Amino acid sequence: MKREIPLAITFISGFLLIVALFIPHKPFGTLQETFNDWYIIVSGFTMILGIDSLLLHNWNKVKRRKSDWPYALALIMSFFLTFLWGLYSIVYEPTHNPFAPTASFLKYFYKSIFVPLQATMFALLAFFIASAAYRAFRAREINSTLLLFSAALVMLGRVPEGEQAAPYVFGIISLLFAVYFFIEASLLTAGFLKYLYIALGVLLLAAIYPVGKLLLAYLPKIADWIMNIPQLAAKRGILIGVALGGIAMSLRIIVGIERTYLK
Amino acid sequence: MTSVFWTWVAAFFTLSILSFLYKDNPFYKFAEHIYVGSSAAFYVLQLWVFDVYPKLVGGFQYKVGIEKWILIIPAFLSVLMLTRFIKPISWLSRWAIAFTVGMAAGLGVTGLLQGFLVPQVKATFLPFYVPGTSFWNSFYLSVNNILIVLGTVATIFYFYFSREHKGALGTISRAGITFIMIAFGASFGYTVMARVSLLIGRMYFLIHDWLHLA
Repeated sequence: MKREIPLAITFISGFLLIVALFIPHKPFGTLQETFNDWYIIVSGFTMILGIDSLLLHNWNKVKRRKSDWPYALALIMSFFLTFLWGLYSIVYEPTHNPFAPTASFLKYFYKSIFVPLQATMFALLAFFIASAAYRAFRAREINSTLLLFSAALVMLGRVPEGEQAAPYVFGIISLLFAVYFFIEASLLTAGFLKYLYIALGVLLLAAIYPVGKLLLAYLPKIADWIMNIPQLAAKRGILIGVALGGIAMSLRIIVGIERTYLK
Repeated sequence: MTSVFWTWVAAFFTLSILSFLYKDNPFYKFAEHIYVGSSAAFYVLQLWVFDVYPKLVGGFQYKVGIEKWILIIPAFLSVLMLTRFIKPISWLSRWAIAFTVGMAAGLGVTGLLQGFLVPQVKATFLPFYVPGTSFWNSFYLSVNNILIVLGTVATIFYFYFSREHKGALGTISRAGITFIMIAFGASFGYTVMARVSLLIGRMYFLIHDWLHLA
């Protein structure tokens, strides 16, 4: 009984929603909206379980004086202070809504604590993304080179005055690579590789002016083309795959093949 | 005076988080824990104000007839969810979990069908020849359509793992990874731009609002 009833509930709720898609008449027509509201209500209460777990974990740290316990205490206190502030806004302030523009909660907590913390935390990622890019974008094979070029073109093409900077960026990079090829060629004895390096160096130097002109004139259009054609195609392929996988998984759950949520 | 105080609070938290660039330190740890605690409370309040209160309490207040009394079902399931705190009857919480899982699965099937699969497949049925204003315009538009169709099909084939990627399948999947790499690079560029714009926002706050230097 402890397993059969939950399985039946999952089957009925999931199956009714699928049926509602094919029968757009009463009582099925409004079923999706009604069930969606119920889902929001019930899943809202799962937040209480999560909060309980978070607070209990940190309270145990404080109680046992584990390392970094003062930070755990700060976490618990910040939770309750924020929560009580929101409650105060709901009960005592005229709008009875902590998210109203005039509410003290939105004016002070949201703008001076929540936004700075969240925005700075995400801004910090800019530095770590840059360091990750340094490792991932080494132009050693064709795939990472493609990744590097499309990222660089999109970034330069989508910033104001990016097309003005792009020829210089390309020129400097080409110059550095050309110098590298000439040095490598000078270290080699005569042979195919030596001439290949020289040819590559010359090619890069010769490409600076025409490619620079091209970037200056068409960079925003190139960035738009990357976003609208190859990026769209790959994203569409991934989305179709995700949809097929999601549907298969959902059907497995509805018919009771997938039962890990009952453990 | 109040705004000066809150500006200093915001500057303190901004600098505390940025201090992680030097190394992990007590200021960063303090700000990080405050962020976690206050975010949790923030989302609880948001959930209550925008979801649970209007749909449950508001429903009982303003709905009439069967629409009102049927709300007893989600209310009952919500209470069942909390039985997890009472050991002897904690198994009852599975009913509520089963309901949310079933709902998510049902919405997954219908939502993914209506929102993703059908529209994306429909949008991929593109003509390989597009008449344009000139030969080159027509050529450009046609090549774009061909690239979209080939790119989509190749990307799907790249994720087909039931057969070894050899021969024709290998060629198609290699074309797929090319498209995927370009897409990831473009997404990466976008993400970097978003993060840098946030960083500029925080720097502007520190220089303009806090230090009044510009």
